[in-house]
Amino acid sequence: MKILIIEDEVELAKSIAEYLSEENYLCEFASTFSEAMGKIEVFQYDCILLDITLPDGNGLKILEELKKEQKQDGVIIISAKNALDDKIKGLQIGADDYLTKPFHLSELAARIYSVIRRKQFSNTNVVTQNELQIDLLAKTVSVSNEIIALTKKEFDLLVYFIGNKNRVISKSTLAEHLSGDFADMLENHDFVYAHVKNLKKKLYDAGCDHYLKTVYGTGYKWESL
Amino acid sequence: MKPLLSKTTKPFLIFVLIVLIISIPVYYFMVDTIWQDELDEHNEIVAEKTSYEFNRMKISDEEIQRNISLWNQIQPGTNIIKLPYNNLKKDLIFTTEKYKPFSADKKIERYRCLKKVIYIKNEPYLFTIETNIEETQGTIMIIGIITLLFFILIVTGLFILNRRLSKTIWKPFRNTLDRLKNFNLNTQTHIEFENTDTTEFEELNQSLRKLIAHNVSVYKTQKEFTENASHELQTPLAILKNKLDLLMQNADLTEKQYNIAEDMNKALSRSARINQNLLLLAKIENSQFDQSEIINFDELVRQSIENLQEHLDQKNITLQINALQNTTVNGNTSLTEILINNLLLNAIRHTAGNGSISISLNNAVFSVANSGVQKLNEDLLFKRFSKLSTSNSGSGLGLAIIKEISKSQKWDVQYNFVDNNHVFSVKL
Repeated sequence: MKILIIEDEVELAKSIAEYLSEENYLCEFASTFSEAMGKIEVFQYDCILLDITLPDGNGLKILEELKKEQKQDGVIIISAKNALDDKIKGLQIGADDYLTKPFHLSELAARIYSVIRRKQFSNTNVVTQNELQIDLLAKTVSVSNEIIALTKKEFDLLVYFIGNKNRVISKSTLAEHLSGDFADMLENHDFVYAHVKNLKKKLYDAGCDHYLKTVYGTGYKWESL
Repeated sequence: MKPLLSKTTKPFLIFVLIVLIISIPVYYFMVDTIWQDELDEHNEIVAEKTSYEFNRMKISDEEIQRNISLWNQIQPGTNIIKLPYNNLKKDLIFTTEKYKPFSADKKIERYRCLKKVIYIKNEPYLFTIETNIEETQGTIMIIGIITLLFFILIVTGLFILNRRLSKTIWKPFRNTLDRLKNFNLNTQTHIEFENTDTTEFEELNQSLRKLIAHNVSVYKTQKEFTENASHELQTPLAILKNKLDLLMQNADLTEKQYNIAEDMNKALSRSARINQNLLLLAKIENSQFDQSEIINFDELVRQSIENLQEHLDQKNITLQINALQNTTVNGNTSLTEILINNLLLNAIRHTAGNGSISISLNNAVFSVANSGVQKLNEDLLFKRFSKLSTSNSGSGLGLAIIKEISKSQKWDVQYNFVDNNHVFSVKL
């Protein structure tokens, strides 16, 4: 899977690439507007991470160009501006997702995973791991062909883990994912524990293997070979 | 507080009054002196003319004596008495007061008198003449009345002048004042003063223009600074966050190290949030939000409750919805969402486990009440970073944001402590 990181902050791009390379993603970089334009013209990517504030141009122009050429690359905007206007405009032009800096790499990985799955398996988007089947389109989960009822949050968590296989996800990262903006305003993150516990129990009760492990006492990891 | 014109008028009138009062005796003294001088001169002329006329008549001494006695009988105010010798070296001039001799009413009259020796046919005679002169009080009364009339004239004149002047001359000043009253540094409305041909007011306008322009630019720079600083901080915060994410994936990490990294992660999230909130505040202050959206307030409250339900459950807090009327308001949707979320989260955070929160949306007043022990300091409550609780989570900006959002949407947010409940209410 090829990913283009259009980002002028080298350190940021490097971190993203390092995290993603573990997932067998092949990352390329573009740190300027012109460089990015050159690359998208020649190559095709599964997903493009687009910082819209570039030193020599507006990233939204790149997006417009992609759409004009009817390219199928998935695009996730990553922006330091939490401006609603930019978000709406970006999504209108045709970006698949929007992420505001600073973000967790696991969050980014989960979004990339979803975008790529959606682009490539637009009709039957089903993830299978042994006895576990997750239909990302219908938002259903089944173990050995038995559908199990998950709450919205539990399903959300499961997809997040699937998008970050074999990675350590800390409780606070999950809290931020689940409650968005106000996680850090809450005194404790026990609600994460409650959701994870329920998810684990439901999967295990349906006969699913213990893929979700607790690590370092408070972190979680979805194990998959 | 009195208008400037009446302040200057009062001492001015007092001064005029004093001058006019002083002028009364001065006028009296002047008038009386002139009058006396004229009368003295008149008396002298009468005496000299009398002696001259007697001397001119070619008549005998006997006849003169008869004429003099006749004169004394019919000529009022004069008297001629034969003297054996001239015992009066010098003429006597004096003023006397006595009753009118031939009138029924007893009125004291003042007379100017002259006693002089005249010679008729070389015989000395004492000639006495008395001429009526206006009494002192009469003169003073007339001068006083005239002075009073003039004073009244000055007062009414000044009053009328003041009213007209305050209307015309002070008009540019009033204009300037009105403009200043409507000026708001926050909204950055352009201020334009009318030109005036009064030097002082033009100077005032110019100084104000300079002062305001300077303040506006300083204010702008400061706000831009906050926005730029917060914006610039986003990138290093993002790098830190991502590096920590990478660190956590390290296979060699011990549990102790992991926990340190996780604590750093939490602190970093908080600083990112503070930064975001500062940016939000700066944006609200810079009026970067469209305020003309139509909002279903009750719907947003419902959404917010749904999002926060699990946190209520977790602390076992009972949520009581007293009223939730259909309420449509004008404003900005995302800001309103933030306001509602912040109010509810604030209540959840500061309510002890098993406590209760009640909300109501009634007659365009949205209020959130949570159980508490003690009234909070209202002055500090809405200030930035003035955290009143000991809990170390939160950005310290939540209530400041609520206040700022309310201000930007022209809503009124208030805090009350009623029946052991902290009540925050927003009047939409």
